Amino acid sequence: MSPAPAALLLAGLAAAALLADRIVSVAAIAAVLLVVCLRAPADRRRLYLVGAFGSGLAVFVLTPFVSQIGYHVLWSGPTVPVFGTLDVTREELRIGLFQGLRLTAVALAFAAYALLLDHDRLVQAAGFARRSVLAVALATRLVPTLERDAAGLGEALRGRGVEVTGVRGRATLLGPLLAGSLERALNLAEAMEARGYGRPGATRAPRPGWTALDKAAVTLGVAAIAIGALWL
Amino acid sequence: MALALVANLSFAYPGGHEALRGVSLELEPGEVVALLGPSGGGKSTLLRALAGLVPHFHGGRFAGRVEVGGLDTRRVRPADLAGTVATLFQDPEDQVVFTRVAAEVQFGLENLGTPPARIVARAEEALASVGALHLAERPVAELSGGELQRVCLASTLALRPRLLLLDEPTSQLDPDGAAAAIELARESGAAVVVSEQRPERVLEAADRVLFLAGGMLLDDAPDAWLPREAVTPDAEPRGEPTCRLEAVSFAYGSVPVVKARSLAVGRGEVVALVGPNGSGKTTIAKLAAGLLEPQAGRVVRAGRACYLSQDPGRYLVRERADEEVALAVGGDLARARAALAQVGLLGFDDRHPRDLSSGERERLALAAVLVAEPDLLVLDEPTRGVDPPRKDELAALLRSQAPGRATLVVTNDLVFACEVADRCISTAAREAVVA
Repeated sequence: MSPAPAALLLAGLAAAALLADRIVSVAAIAAVLLVVCLRAPADRRRLYLVGAFGSGLAVFVLTPFVSQIGYHVLWSGPTVPVFGTLDVTREELRIGLFQGLRLTAVALAFAAYALLLDHDRLVQAAGFARRSVLAVALATRLVPTLERDAAGLGEALRGRGVEVTGVRGRATLLGPLLAGSLERALNLAEAMEARGYGRPGATRAPRPGWTALDKAAVTLGVAAIAIGALWL
Repeated sequence: MALALVANLSFAYPGGHEALRGVSLELEPGEVVALLGPSGGGKSTLLRALAGLVPHFHGGRFAGRVEVGGLDTRRVRPADLAGTVATLFQDPEDQVVFTRVAAEVQFGLENLGTPPARIVARAEEALASVGALHLAERPVAELSGGELQRVCLASTLALRPRLLLLDEPTSQLDPDGAAAAIELARESGAAVVVSEQRPERVLEAADRVLFLAGGMLLDDAPDAWLPREAVTPDAEPRGEPTCRLEAVSFAYGSVPVVKARSLAVGRGEVVALVGPNGSGKTTIAKLAAGLLEPQAGRVVRAGRACYLSQDPGRYLVRERADEEVALAVGGDLARARAALAQVGLLGFDDRHPRDLSSGERERLALAAVLVAEPDLLVLDEPTRGVDPPRKDELAALLRSQAPGRATLVVTNDLVFACEVADRCISTAAREAVVA
């Protein structure tokens, strides 16, 4: 499948997850997206899956404590300034589960986009807003680039006999990683300008036309949005 | 008529000292100019000025005039100079925009408005010219440093520029690859300015030489810059092996990189590991240092091993130079300062590592491993971006400390290898690796 229709299909599924108002529907969309993500190599998908399910779980756990909804109290705790009485109701759990699944589905759609799509072809296929598409593609590369930099940093430190362990140890690497990313971004911007980026009259390498599968994917993406809004 | 003219150019980066001072030169079409000079002497800045990136991209104080192809670089944006000028930057890792090789080479052609029907053919032609057509569909993240450097060279050659600016284009290439790259640039027909830290790689192809130091063009290069003949050392292995690789094999995924290699480095000797790009030098170095575990065979080590990676200046984590060095010795700042002095960074204790020049960062990283006084010291391409006088200093330092440890140096710099090592081992011929 070409990357542009695939991106539209993923965007359609993410939109459907945001528009649907039933837990079962959102869970089904998340399950489909999870199956898609599992096609990526195990070592690359791990970080994205941990991020997607971790953020969803965080929303599910925190929602009952920060909202005051429902009458079916399952647990009642102490009164905390600002938050009021901490309690957990059946309705809050339901909303937490729903919002957590929504976030997970959207994150999985992004993971599938980042892991499985050919971003080069996506940029080259962009008929309009090419700058924006390129910016998104470069931003998407940030995660694997940071992963590589973190591995290089860890290896350089181990080469000196310095072991980085625990959350606190790893947290000390965030500053150098960020500084390295900024340096890299500046160098990249300079190299892009030197290669004529931003000059008027740019052309595009020829790209193959859409196949029947591509057209079906676009149709399905649009249909997913409509179905999500109307029936799910 | 000159293709490029630099008239009395002075330039200072924002908040910095003058990087160029009263530089004047002319470049004729088709000539090849070798640009030599110490690290921080202004070579990269002069190349950026010729590409219009100075002052447009960097800002700063600019005086004088630079014209390329009749265009005043102060009035024309660098993007509009692209095509007339093409630049290959120092760090290939930092100039790659796309994830696949083919798209990367096509990027510049698209920006220049090349007719779509010709983009693919020209990109393939450029890749073929650097011997990298087989890499066209490969992800750039999977390429070795040498392969990536060739791809970046293809990206510049594809633009068919009139002025080709190459900033240390062979720093990650083996000698054969480096000679081919320089020859290719010469044959492109463009005027070529090549900044190099390994003069022997470029002087033969150059029509003339410019020497830039302290931001000024000098008439003569100091003797340290004259090409030296590499005489391969052939001492017998000696000393009790501090590190021994016995028939080790290693593969990244399904790609075997090292197959049943053996190697021994004894206490008191310096061994240089040389060989073509992609022959597994870095992997062998990491196996020796214990950063990788062999998938077959075994590695026997005695004592502490330290490993200095390629491009170590990228991997600095503290906010003071002395604290960076002290990491390996449990925060002992006194030892750290002594190690800084050893590599010529006396007085740099409280400097932020990222404020240092690239050459200074490399030396800081070297101090960060030397301070641990390891039994086995493994250095991976320690002369990348290092000028000849500094290389001599590095060789002298490693030689002076050699008796107390085993030292393994991975390098593409044959002159340095021959100066520093007791013996050289090549990864090109399998049997030669057996020590």
